[in-house]
Amino acid sequence: MTVELLILVALASGILAYFVGRLNKVLGAVVTIVASMFIFIMIGYMMQDINAGTTFNYNAVEYMPDFVTFMVTYLGLFFAILVTFIFAMVSFFNPFFVEKYKYPALYSMLYLFSLAGVLGVFLTDNFMVLFFFFEFIVWSGLFLIPLGKNNKAAISYYAFSTAGSFALLYAIFIMFAQTGSYNLHLGLATVSGTTEGTYVLALLAFAAFAKLGAFPLNVWLPRALGKAPDAITAVFSGGLEKLGAFVAVLALVKLAPIGDIAGTLGGLTEATFLFASQYIVATLGAMTIVFGTLMAIRQDDAKKLLAYSSMSNGGYILVALSLGGTLGLSGGLYHIVAHALASAAAFLAIGAVSRVTGTTKMSELGGMIHKMPVTYMVYLIAIISMAGIPPMGGFISKWLIFQAVIDNGLILIAVAVFFGSIGSFLYVFRPLAALFLGQELPQHRDKAKEAPFFMLLPMLILSGLIVFTGVMPNIFLDFINDVIAELGGTGLLLGDYTITGVNGVLQPTLIASVFGVGVLIAFIIFILLKKSKKVGLMDTYTAGNFIYTEELMHYSLDFYAPLERLYEKHINITKDFYKKLENKVVDFGRMIKYFFFTNKPEITVFWIIVLIGFLLWGEL
Amino acid sequence: MSAILLIAVPLLAAFISILFKKYAHYILVFVSFASVFALGYMDLGTITVGGFNAPFGIVLILDDYSLIALYIVNTLFFLVAILNCNEFKKVGSIMLVALAGLNGLLLTGDLFNLFVFLEVAGIAAYLITTTNKKPLASFNYLIQGTVGSSLYLLGLILLYAMFGTLNMADMASSIANSGYGAGVTAFPFLLMFIGFGVEAKLLPFNSWTKGILANSNRLTGPMIASVYAAAIGFVFGRLLTNVFVIEDTFLIIVTIILIFSVVAGEAMAYASTKVREILLYSSVAQAALVVVVFMSGFTGWAVYLIIGNAAAKLVLFLITNTATKQLGNDDVETFKGLFVNNKVIGLAFTAVTLSVIGLPMFLGFVTKMNILENMFVSGDYIWPAIILITSVVEGIYFIRLLLNLWYKENDLPEVKFEFVLKYVVVIIAVLIMVFGVYTEPVQDSADNLVAYSYIEGGNL
Repeated sequence: MTVELLILVALASGILAYFVGRLNKVLGAVVTIVASMFIFIMIGYMMQDINAGTTFNYNAVEYMPDFVTFMVTYLGLFFAILVTFIFAMVSFFNPFFVEKYKYPALYSMLYLFSLAGVLGVFLTDNFMVLFFFFEFIVWSGLFLIPLGKNNKAAISYYAFSTAGSFALLYAIFIMFAQTGSYNLHLGLATVSGTTEGTYVLALLAFAAFAKLGAFPLNVWLPRALGKAPDAITAVFSGGLEKLGAFVAVLALVKLAPIGDIAGTLGGLTEATFLFASQYIVATLGAMTIVFGTLMAIRQDDAKKLLAYSSMSNGGYILVALSLGGTLGLSGGLYHIVAHALASAAAFLAIGAVSRVTGTTKMSELGGMIHKMPVTYMVYLIAIISMAGIPPMGGFISKWLIFQAVIDNGLILIAVAVFFGSIGSFLYVFRPLAALFLGQELPQHRDKAKEAPFFMLLPMLILSGLIVFTGVMPNIFLDFINDVIAELGGTGLLLGDYTITGVNGVLQPTLIASVFGVGVLIAFIIFILLKKSKKVGLMDTYTAGNFIYTEELMHYSLDFYAPLERLYEKHINITKDFYKKLENKVVDFGRMIKYFFFTNKPEITVFWIIVLIGFLLWGEL
Repeated sequence: MSAILLIAVPLLAAFISILFKKYAHYILVFVSFASVFALGYMDLGTITVGGFNAPFGIVLILDDYSLIALYIVNTLFFLVAILNCNEFKKVGSIMLVALAGLNGLLLTGDLFNLFVFLEVAGIAAYLITTTNKKPLASFNYLIQGTVGSSLYLLGLILLYAMFGTLNMADMASSIANSGYGAGVTAFPFLLMFIGFGVEAKLLPFNSWTKGILANSNRLTGPMIASVYAAAIGFVFGRLLTNVFVIEDTFLIIVTIILIFSVVAGEAMAYASTKVREILLYSSVAQAALVVVVFMSGFTGWAVYLIIGNAAAKLVLFLITNTATKQLGNDDVETFKGLFVNNKVIGLAFTAVTLSVIGLPMFLGFVTKMNILENMFVSGDYIWPAIILITSVVEGIYFIRLLLNLWYKENDLPEVKFEFVLKYVVVIIAVLIMVFGVYTEPVQDSADNLVAYSYIEGGNL
């Protein structure tokens, strides 16, 4: 199936979903499942074709305005498969949630419209088409987010996304002015290494930061992800955010690096040689990691916590891509996969909990494991991967990224990267403990039950893949090697079951087996030992006090208070900056209104005289 | 059919309608429909009035440019007329005068004749705005409009003294052949620029807009923000591309005015909390943008920018003013949740707003992209940056407005929109969407128009 036909299918099924959704809300959401599964499978077929090595230019039919062309590349396909897969998995949640939303039919339509946009962005070789679909996704997402909790999140999403898109557009036009064509590859190749290249890099990086929610353009991400409908949060974190990563690849990898600073940083060897732009992006990426981690530690809302974790993972992707090289590239690309799977699974698990309890606040939840054991397992596997512990996919990518950072001798960035990794231990296990473990809260005891099969199915598939990417990463790394080869780099050295990095050889399957044996032993001990006794929440020692509020007994409330106290004064720096910026615009507007829009015509006459005076200055 | 009928018939009908006061509004609807209809039978060409040949007598010019302008203005005028004919019966005769004035503005090829029609259309506009029941604002508009047209006249007198002609094309070629530098003509042109700036809502000269549009009703809002804005935009465009010589200090002044109008317009709209104020300040910025695009020489795209804006402002002001009348005020807070029970109206409002912001799938996107592309190709990197940055601001306040109007749980405002209004706004919204996707005719006609309108303004 050709790309434009797929996009048309996505758009048409979106409209179909709308009209079906008008008749029956749930049925409209079922259309999204069928359509997104279909599209995912079709994209999967494309991979077969491209692997057969027949043709790269899978399809470049020209129609409509003469510049609309599509092209399948390894890079585009890599992103397209990943994101359409996330869309297909998350779509299973739609029928269970759609009834709660204000405009259910609209929800189903925009869900598929975003999917169409994703295809358009990744599978084109034309910048104008890319931008068109980029903006298309923005406005589809714009009306999806407020279906959740509030409008403000959608507005800040729009503000940052559009600022990013317009930076991208400006860069596109700079390249257009140089080449006279909107061809993506030609444009990037032409400006590489020129002065224009510097501007293009800065603008593209801005776009990537805005889309990834990286520091300092991070304000929208926790808001939007925290407030959006549960399924949309998963799509954003696992899928749409990756648009930023895609633009980052264009900016950092396809554009030749600029700003030679070898002279000023003498003493570096050839192998550890980096360019100024790479340093800057890597530093900002590292700040994103630290900032995201520190903020995630503070959150009480599990969705917001995961949103900040998404931000910090975006930082990993930026650091890895900016370092480049075999390790950096494959680490970055693999991290995109690992994080997409893990965050989608984690958000879906939280979504499943919020469906039965109506809240995602950790202080209001507890003991969900008793009623939702499968959801608990899904979340557990997802966060193990996020924390970068073997045998999950997140470990492989972090192993590669750590090596890339150390190999480049970037000590400070290495500190940030390790900090983020340890910090993620601190925060991702907190929802696990607060939400799933502990004692059941009375208010949810009756309502809570395990999610229905069709919600568990996508979660289990995602979990399976998270484990699979950790045990047998070579299948995925093989494809990533193809992507890297297309980008002009050398791929990782892969054995049958081994990955060769600079600091040694990794045997993920062996690690996984050892890990599996360990889990097995633990399980046997668990079976053999005495069962634990269930007690009520109030059944506790309180040193003679009566307990009135159960929330205070919740042991994850203010869990890291001593750590938080270290930085709690500085958490609003970025937020305040944008607030002030907004106030400046408002002040300026009010000032102009005050000075010019009065009911006094003489003021107009005064300005006319000033202008005439300015023209005649020195003439009279 | 001679194009002069487009002026003569409405003017005659205006006088007749005074005799039959009760039927004035029917005459208005009939005449405005007839003039849209008659446009299909007009022959392109120059019409000499009174038998005096081109540089000496008054000429009317009907080329592709003025034909498009007439189509747009007359159609919009007809829509405004038919939607309001019952509510505002009193102004039927004045509306007919306005139609004659606007058609005259678009047709004339003579600079003094332009002044006459500017005054005719202007006086009609002052009278129409009295239906706002805000006499001070209308008086303010009257004063400023008169100051503007007097300055235009003063500038024209100077030019006449220098070159001895009033015909646009003849004036342009006389200036080109005279060998004078741009400094000599800068002063009269500045006066004329200011004169049009008042009507076109450029920033330091537009304080009347707030009084008029922020208190507008269903007649005056669309009339001033859509019909008049489009007409003035087209005429200004002809002067800017064919007559004015903008260089040196004059260019600096004009650029400052325009940058200031765009930036401050968007900032003021951002700072506003009333729906009509948001719309009016946004149209200040859009009007300046039209002038910028004309000055950059992309006539075809400027025309589409005018069309897109006029259509959008018609829809937005119609809906807003209908709702304002029923709700009592136009605070965004009062309007919250307006579209929850009025989905069709809401969709039309959303579509045109997204088009004004320039999001894909809508006409505004095509226009904006082509304008930016042309600017980049001609080596202008500053204006695209300004346009894009202000577009972010514009997008935020419009999106904020839209989300407020769509999402609210209870306590929804109750507004009834009549059938005809629904039809009109939906058709406009659908057209904006259709040409946003099917862009080929837009692209072709815009590119062709550039070639045509560079034929000298006086003689075809």
